[in-house]
Amino acid sequence: MSTALDRQIRPIYDALDTQSNKSAVLACNKVLKKQPNNVLVKALKALALVRLQKVEESLLLADEVLAKKPTDDGVLTAMMHVLRGLGRHSDIVAMFETAYKQHPQNEDLGTQTFFANVRVGNWKAAQQVATKMHKQFQDDRYLYWSIFSAVLQANDMATPEALRPVLLKLALRLISSGNTPSYFNPDRFYVHLLILRELEMYDDAATLLNHEIGQKICETSLVCDEIRRDIMKLKGACKQEGEQAKVKILEKKDRNWLEFLSLLDATFWDIASTSEPASEDVKAAVTEEIAKTRKVFSEAATVDGLKDRSGLLALLELEKRTKSHGLWTDACEIRMMAENYFSQFGDKACCYEDLLPYLAFEGEELEQWTSFLNSRKSFDTPDTLQRSINVYKLLRYNLTSAELTPELELARAQEYIKVYLDGLKFGVNLPDTELQPADDFAILVGHAYVSLWKLTGEESHLQSAAATLEYASARSKQSYRIRLLLIRIYHLLGAPALALDHYRLMNVKQVQTDTLSHLILSRAAMWSLAPLGDITYMSECMEASQIYMSNSTETAEFIARAFSTERYSQIIDFIEFEDRLDNSLQRDLMKVEHVRMRVAHEPLNAELVDMELIELKFIFDRIHHDNRDFEVIPNYQPRCQPSFNEQTLPLKPPGAGWLSAYLKVYIRAFQEASDLDETLPLRERLVKKRQEEIDDLSEDEKLFYEYTLALSEWVGPYHDYVRPPPSALLAEAAKSNDLKPGHPLKSMAAAANGSATNGHSKKDEEPPAVKESPELIPKFFDDMKSRFDAVISGTALPSELLHIVATTQEAYLLFALETVRFKPNSIIKQYKFGQLAQSFKDLRVKASSILNEMSTVLAKLGEEVATPDGRKAFVQASSSIQDSSGFDHDFVLGVAKKTTDARKQTYEGIAKGLAKVVKNHS
Amino acid sequence: MFKFNNINLDIWTETYGISFYLTYLSRWPDLCCVQEAPNGHMMGYVIGKAEGHGQDWHGHVTALTVAPEYRRLSLARKMMSLLEMVSDETYKGFFVDLYVRCTNSVAISMYEGLGYSVYRRVREYYGSLGLGRASKDEEDAFDMRKPLSRDPHRRSVRANGREFVVSAHDVS
Repeated sequence: MSTALDRQIRPIYDALDTQSNKSAVLACNKVLKKQPNNVLVKALKALALVRLQKVEESLLLADEVLAKKPTDDGVLTAMMHVLRGLGRHSDIVAMFETAYKQHPQNEDLGTQTFFANVRVGNWKAAQQVATKMHKQFQDDRYLYWSIFSAVLQANDMATPEALRPVLLKLALRLISSGNTPSYFNPDRFYVHLLILRELEMYDDAATLLNHEIGQKICETSLVCDEIRRDIMKLKGACKQEGEQAKVKILEKKDRNWLEFLSLLDATFWDIASTSEPASEDVKAAVTEEIAKTRKVFSEAATVDGLKDRSGLLALLELEKRTKSHGLWTDACEIRMMAENYFSQFGDKACCYEDLLPYLAFEGEELEQWTSFLNSRKSFDTPDTLQRSINVYKLLRYNLTSAELTPELELARAQEYIKVYLDGLKFGVNLPDTELQPADDFAILVGHAYVSLWKLTGEESHLQSAAATLEYASARSKQSYRIRLLLIRIYHLLGAPALALDHYRLMNVKQVQTDTLSHLILSRAAMWSLAPLGDITYMSECMEASQIYMSNSTETAEFIARAFSTERYSQIIDFIEFEDRLDNSLQRDLMKVEHVRMRVAHEPLNAELVDMELIELKFIFDRIHHDNRDFEVIPNYQPRCQPSFNEQTLPLKPPGAGWLSAYLKVYIRAFQEASDLDETLPLRERLVKKRQEEIDDLSEDEKLFYEYTLALSEWVGPYHDYVRPPPSALLAEAAKSNDLKPGHPLKSMAAAANGSATNGHSKKDEEPPAVKESPELIPKFFDDMKSRFDAVISGTALPSELLHIVATTQEAYLLFALETVRFKPNSIIKQYKFGQLAQSFKDLRVKASSILNEMSTVLAKLGEEVATPDGRKAFVQASSSIQDSSGFDHDFVLGVAKKTTDARKQTYEGIAKGLAKVVKNHS
Repeated sequence: MFKFNNINLDIWTETYGISFYLTYLSRWPDLCCVQEAPNGHMMGYVIGKAEGHGQDWHGHVTALTVAPEYRRLSLARKMMSLLEMVSDETYKGFFVDLYVRCTNSVAISMYEGLGYSVYRRVREYYGSLGLGRASKDEEDAFDMRKPLSRDPHRRSVRANGREFVVSAHDVS
């Protein structure tokens, strides 16, 4: 580049670097005036334009540049960003391929072409490029690129079954053609092992692994060691592995749990590896092995003492497996081991989770275990406090249903409160960034009160739980575990705003939004005040969805980078990671929630209908991964009870079935309301109910589902008749050229009028005969009304009430969506739909009056709850926590005020929202 | 990353964007390691890298964290020794270094117990945790180092590192 030109181009790059895209465009125009054919400047302008969201202009420029078949590095790089911004990933591939073809000696272009294919997961083409590069440049690195591309192609779901071994064999052949053996570096060695494993050539793999270098690599590379274990297991070399593990445990003091598992597997191999019942001889032999293994583990435990818990845990696992294989010798063995473990590690926080799998004691064993634990309570030092926490948790775990009476649970709750308040003394001087050592007692209080609520159905216990946990949260500001419990309890109590506060304080971000946003966004539409213009939950959905954007822009890039650093062992993980986020269940659940709220928030026009129709159809056929983390919610409920998570879910969590049902509901409704041509023939599948969908729905949602099916079956034929033909739409779209592609119409009413006046409406067949509305439709509203009345007069929780209200409102909105097309008088006249319009009107009046009634009742409830009397009731309900302890009245009153105010806000907001929805669509 | 909530919801552990983790995993996967409990829960993890030129070539501990419920079990010690071993044998580094808040006395004494010593104090390395605290000490970091087998004469450490102050701009 000449210096003069460089001087002109420099400011463009500077502007782009500082995101001053407008001035970048100006700078480009300046140069283009003098040199209208400068490809680089055109590419840079296209980049600035795409960043300014000027898609159409950018598209035109990009096509001009591509037509010139650029090979210049600067142009290619700029165009890569442009095309990525435009979502034209396959054009990136084509661009580099064209460039590489023109300059086959250019190694860099080859690399870029390879990466472009890698980014889009086009393994076949990637493999071909890499092979070509290897021939040309004779670098083993390209050979391995081609080998691993073949492996990935074999792994790809889209590759036919029969082709897979062919590809793997090809990869294996290529490995032996390399200049250097695969153990040149650990990642190449890993690729070699992987291929041998997939081809089930275990003996060949073992030869490699037993080689001196192979062993050395496995010592330092965890990924190679992992695949080594896998291969040995598949090879059936469990006993050999066990022997090695024994050496490692005893001589090298290796405390990798996998070594202990290897030895355990080897010990029981003779019984576990066959399905035949074991003979007495085999049993005797295994019993002998058990004794030997026990000695190894005991020795490890003795050597380690307090330094490592693996030995003692392995002993427990050994006894557990012995029992499960029917080789039981002494009934008290597991309990003794557990006691032994507790004596050593009882003052560590991990004790409870470590012991849990081994504690299903009954009868005498349980009695002994209980009395052992009871003798271990003490509260003198922080260490003994932690031990006592473990004691209380472990005792609670083994409570039987006979011991779970309301009286006993209440006594337990009060005891937990007492020890909690006592234990606070150990944390008085801690900075506020530290956790209080006694936190887990407060968590136990929460558990006991939730269990009390489940036993008695009295809401007051949830209020007590909230008050105690709020107290604890104020003392241990960083305890996310306390917040998790509060989030659940506040939802049950109809105070979603408080749940949201706690969620936000947990500072959930990045990939965590995928795994944790379910805490506040599961069925969020039922809490949302979207009809009033409050978009809190809608923006939470958008924010939590950011991670999927960054996944689709970033992750593929790292797959390419892992190729360039030859970290093959990471690539398969990266691909899986990308897929799990891309097809995350939570992602699409949030999408559906967003749509449900949007429909309540915005006018039902063509823009909304067409856009959401396209987007929902796009996700309809995804195979989802459920990445939601429920495990993180603490659970210390007795084993005979459901977990805290299960107990406190307002409704069954929505799963793949739920998603499928709601996608069908909305796609159907949008499709009918839309004028867009049906490109994918989905209709038959949309009306088909599946059992897994029904199983995932709440009772009210099941009614709703039936209602929507009946509605669209009834109204569908009229939509089909009235919908303007595609040719009319095209003419309409051509008339208004300021419209974006994908949104051919501004509003449906305009389209309907337009088609009527343009005379496109002449149809050959007669309009479908007008039928009475199916009984199910008015019945649905009646049913919901009686459900509502029943819940109001009963003791159900606010969350249940709000679910009924939200479902009824949603049904009303769908009705509006399905009938908006038939609103204009011109349509009614033209198609003689007078009777149909009357049916719609009758139904609308009926549904409106029911919604209005619900609104009035809710508003009244809201007023009642936040009065001094309501608060007093709350405080009185929590009297049990005041009787027993130093909780002061004012604190409980404060929590009462917050909770009742939040509930009032929700009730009133939803009541007003209902009225608004009715008004908007009447 | 789908399973690390029990660790990362704790305030001392930062959750980064996808590219942060994938950068480390795509370049130094052997310096990244997760420890899992027998029940499959994540107990802790370490993320490290190898960097520097010539005599300065070393392993660096970027993040080391253990979930609250798995603390006081010497897990950090084990992860550090793995990282040291890989830095030494695979990457042939001269030393391993790490940064730690000057106020985090628990961590500092643990690292000292592992053979690390303060090499220098870096001004305003960390973001503030909020007003009204001993903010100087909180924002400053100690750069702590431990020599590996390639540095038998301990050239990478010094005795009076605590008094040796540099600003955050001077370090990478």
